[in-house]
Formats: sequence, structure tokens, C-alpha cells
Amino acid sequence: MQPSEINSDTDVPGFSLAVAAEGLYLLNLLLLPGAAFLILLLLYFLKVDKAPPLAAAHLSQTMNASLWAGVLLILVVGLILLLGGFDGPWTWVVLITYFTICHASLVILGILGLAQAMAGRCWRYPLVGKTLPDGCHALR
Amino acid sequence: MNYQSQSVAKLYFIAAIGLFVGQILFGVILGLQYVIGDFLFPEIPFNVARMVHTNLLIVWLLFGFMGAAYFLVPEEAERELHSPLLAKVMFWIFLVAGALTILGYLLVPYAGLAQMTGNDLLPTMGREFLEQPTITKIGIVIVALAFLYNIGMTILKGRKTAISLVLLIGLLGLALLFLFAFYNPDNLVKDKFYWWWVVHLWVEGVWELILGSILAFVLIKTTGVDREVIEKWLYVIIAMTLITGIIGTGHHYYWIGTPEYWQWWGSIFSAMEPIPFFMMTVFAFNMVNRRRRNHPNKAALLWALGTAVMAFLGAGVWGFLHTLAPVNYYTHGSQITAAHGHMAFYGAYVMIVLAMISYAMPLMRGRKVAGSNRSQTVEMWSFWLMTVSMVFITLFLTAAGVLQTYLQRYSDEPLPFMVVQDKIEIFYWLREVAGVVFLIGLILYVISFFVGNSDPEAGGGVEESA
Repeated sequence: MQPSEINSDTDVPGFSLAVAAEGLYLLNLLLLPGAAFLILLLLYFLKVDKAPPLAAAHLSQTMNASLWAGVLLILVVGLILLLGGFDGPWTWVVLITYFTICHASLVILGILGLAQAMAGRCWRYPLVGKTLPDGCHALR
Repeated sequence: MNYQSQSVAKLYFIAAIGLFVGQILFGVILGLQYVIGDFLFPEIPFNVARMVHTNLLIVWLLFGFMGAAYFLVPEEAERELHSPLLAKVMFWIFLVAGALTILGYLLVPYAGLAQMTGNDLLPTMGREFLEQPTITKIGIVIVALAFLYNIGMTILKGRKTAISLVLLIGLLGLALLFLFAFYNPDNLVKDKFYWWWVVHLWVEGVWELILGSILAFVLIKTTGVDREVIEKWLYVIIAMTLITGIIGTGHHYYWIGTPEYWQWWGSIFSAMEPIPFFMMTVFAFNMVNRRRRNHPNKAALLWALGTAVMAFLGAGVWGFLHTLAPVNYYTHGSQITAAHGHMAFYGAYVMIVLAMISYAMPLMRGRKVAGSNRSQTVEMWSFWLMTVSMVFITLFLTAAGVLQTYLQRYSDEPLPFMVVQDKIEIFYWLREVAGVVFLIGLILYVISFFVGNSDPEAGGGVEESA
């Protein structure tokens, strides 16, 4: 086995930034909600215009998906609480089931995105992702 | 198939599938007993159906692991199995002992079975999942020792790889930890404490090593990614498994009479237990994205990827859901536990055994690399039916568990257990429907072995470069 073969995916321009974007997306969902999003936001505004297609794609996908995650996990949950009331048992049945499905699905999407970034590939988040930039078509 | 002796795995896999069907039939009966309490009573009481359902699960998974080891080890060691005859003899001993035990559960009252099998000489019966008569337990130890000898000698004499060594450590751990099934102290706290050394340290410890090594093997074979890359992932995953899983046992010690510090240790370490499953999912998809060949056995790859995702959801997410002590204070032993148990066992262990069977069975039946397109199509239908229905089983049980927890333990005026059971009946019915769909998926899975056998191999029996 040649080391160059193992690392060939990491040679794609924008590899590190793409992996960082997916990592921050997951970190925001799993460990550091809010703080990781702010770093992702900063990276997005500083880098997205000048970044290679791979990085630009992952930055824009994760930014969009994070915003959707905010809506789905904060706003919808707030709405469920508002409509169902804090003391209703069915509120909690709906809320916990909804939150678990939604959060787990968003994490799984992030894992798929991270695996694609680590393989040096662009990837569009299903339903919540933007159209990929033109430069992505050249990447496998 | 590179080594003739690998074919002993076929016996184990056939037995595993047969017992799996039995487990699910009892699951469907059990599901119905939740809503029609006297269904099949007194022939099959609820406690017996439950015991058969869970014991069959454990036994068929053990058959699956043994079959996987007998197929995997010769290939990794690059030599024939040390003793194929011993593997066959042990198979029949294990199968007959297992069948007699299940018949004993069904035909003899449990107390009578204990008396008949001499439980008073060395009392080990009467504990959840470890209900087997002492004599069966001794049989399991003998079979396990012979199995480990056979596998160990094959590895020692042949090539040693990270995959076979991790598998061996997992299997050794499985056998050693089972010995705690013989320790049955009078002190109930001590009893429960060590009982978890079998139950928890199996499924959240050494079984994960077995899972990781089988997954790594299937991924090497189906993606063609360099062994070194996969082995590095495997090392990190098993390290995280052991770091989090061993002290994570503490999440079972919250309310059994152990010191309070277990609430901290258990919460902190078991909260980290999803990490290896998270890594396993990244690993599996990363390997597939970096694959060097398109293997014609699409079904095996689907099972392998399904394992990673469903294990993360079932063991990781649903485990985390109720693992922190302040949450577990309310949810302990509710239907949330059942939801977690169902998806975790299916995702982590059922699917990896089926992935291995899916990869190995066509080779053992004379194919070069994969079954026909038709048989794979039926198998993939069974994958989706079983997997989607398991997701629904989990969701219905979760909803039932949340409502149960609220009504029975959280509300200002808590209701009695049986009153709450009536109120969550709708979810039990929905779970039963999903269970029947699961059974249909399993029947399709069995049918897939009899379909398209005269058709040519998928992909012409050739692995193409990616």
C-alpha cells in the first residue's frame, strides 16, 4: 500500500475546510449548540466566496442545513409546546418523538456529509440542501 | 470461497436463521399478549413467551457469531480451520441443547424445570436472560471453550490480522464474562451488580468488538479499500467502545442499591457510548465512498451500511435518550427501554450477522462472488421491510414509553401500572402491526435463498473497478 493512495482524497483542494464545515455542523447538533454554529457562520462569511468548489459546497450545504435544523428543532418544538401546553402528556409524547426523529435524521445527514467530505466529494443534503456549485461536477 | 473448511459456517447460519424465525414468531405472539392478555393462555403464558423470545435472540446471535467466525477466520489466517470436525460436533451439541432448553421452557413449568435439571446443586436460574438451566449453561461453556480452541488454534497457526485478533478478543470476552452467569449470590444488590457483567458487558462491550471486526471484514471484501485504512478505524472504534462501555455499565447501577457515585460515573461514561457507533457510521460510509471496486453483492453492502446507521440510532441515540441518571429516574424499565432494546439489538447485532450471511452464503453455495440479481432483489426488499418496520416498532414503543412515564411516574396524580397499560394500548396495537410486517420481511429473507438459484450471478460474477 502506498501512502499516497491513502491520502489521495485529502489532496483535493478545499478538503480541510469541507471536513471542518461538516464537523462544525455535527458539533452544533451534538455537543456545542450555538457556539459551533457561530464558528461555522464565521467560516462561511470569511471563506465561501474564495474557497475551492469542494469547500464552498460543504460550507453552503452545512450552513443551510444548520438554519433548517434551527427551525425544525427550536421553532417547531416551541410551537408544539405552545399549542399542546406544558402539562399535557400528549405534548410530551409528540415533542419527544418528534425531536428524537428530527435530531437523529439531521445527525445522520451530517454523518453522510462528513463521510463525503472525507472522501473529497461534494454532497447535497436531501430536502434542506442548496444546489451544488458548478465546480462540483468535476469532483467524481 | 478460498478454504473448504469455511463451509462449516453454513450449518451455523442455517440454524441461526431458523431460530431467528422462531424468535420473531414468539415476538408476534408476545406483542398480541400485551393487548389480549389471555391469548394462548395457559399453553404459552406471557412470561414463557418473553423468555423464549429473548433466549432465542441470544442463542441465534451466538450461532451467527460462531458461523461468522468460522467463515472469517480461515480467510484472515490464510489456512484451513484447525478442526472442522470439532466445529460440526459442537454445532450439533449446541443445537440440541438449545432446542431441549426451549422445549423445556414450553413444556415444563419453570420451577419444575429447575428441579428436573438439578438447579438446587448449583443455583443459577431465575434471572432475566440467564434463565437457562444450569446444565445448559455448563453446555454453553463447553461449546464456547471448544469453539475458542478451534478458532484460537487457527489464528495462532496462521496469519494474524487486526480483524481476527479483535474478533478473538471479543469472543474470549464473551466466553469469560458468561462465567458470571454461575455467580448467584444471595445478596440481591451483588446479584444484580454481577448479572450486568454478563448482560451489559456483552452487548455494550465485547459484542461490539465482534460487530466491529465482522463489519471491517465485510467492508474490506466489498469495497476493496486497503486493509491498513480499515484496521486503523477498527482500532479507534474498539478503543472508544471499551473506554466508554466498561464504566458505562454504571448506568445500570443507579437504582439497585449501589453507592450514589455510580449516578455520575454511569451518566458521564454512558453518555459517551454513542461515540463508537457514530464513528462506525462515518467509517462505513467513508469506506464505501473510497471504494476501489463495485462488488456485485449489493445486498451484503446494504446490510453493512444498514448496520452502521441502525446501530447508531438504536444503541447510540435511543440509548442516550434515557441513560442520564436524572432522566432514568423516571424512565427506568418503561417501554422506552423496550424501544431501545429492540432497535439496538436489531441494528447492531441482527444486521451484522445478516450482513455476514449475505456476503458468505452465496460463496458457500458455489457462487464466485454473489447471488443472482433476483435473489438479491428479494433480499433487499426484506432488508427494507424489516428495517422500516423496526423503526416503527421503536417509535411506537417510544411514544408508549413517554406516555407511560408521564402518567405513571411524573404527573401530580400518578396512575397504577395496569391502568396506564390500558391507556397506551393503541401503541401496542400499532407495534403489533409493525411486528407482523417485520415477520413478512423475515419470511421474504428466507425466500430469497430459494429464488433465482438457476439464474446467472449478478454482475457476471466479476468485481468491477470503481
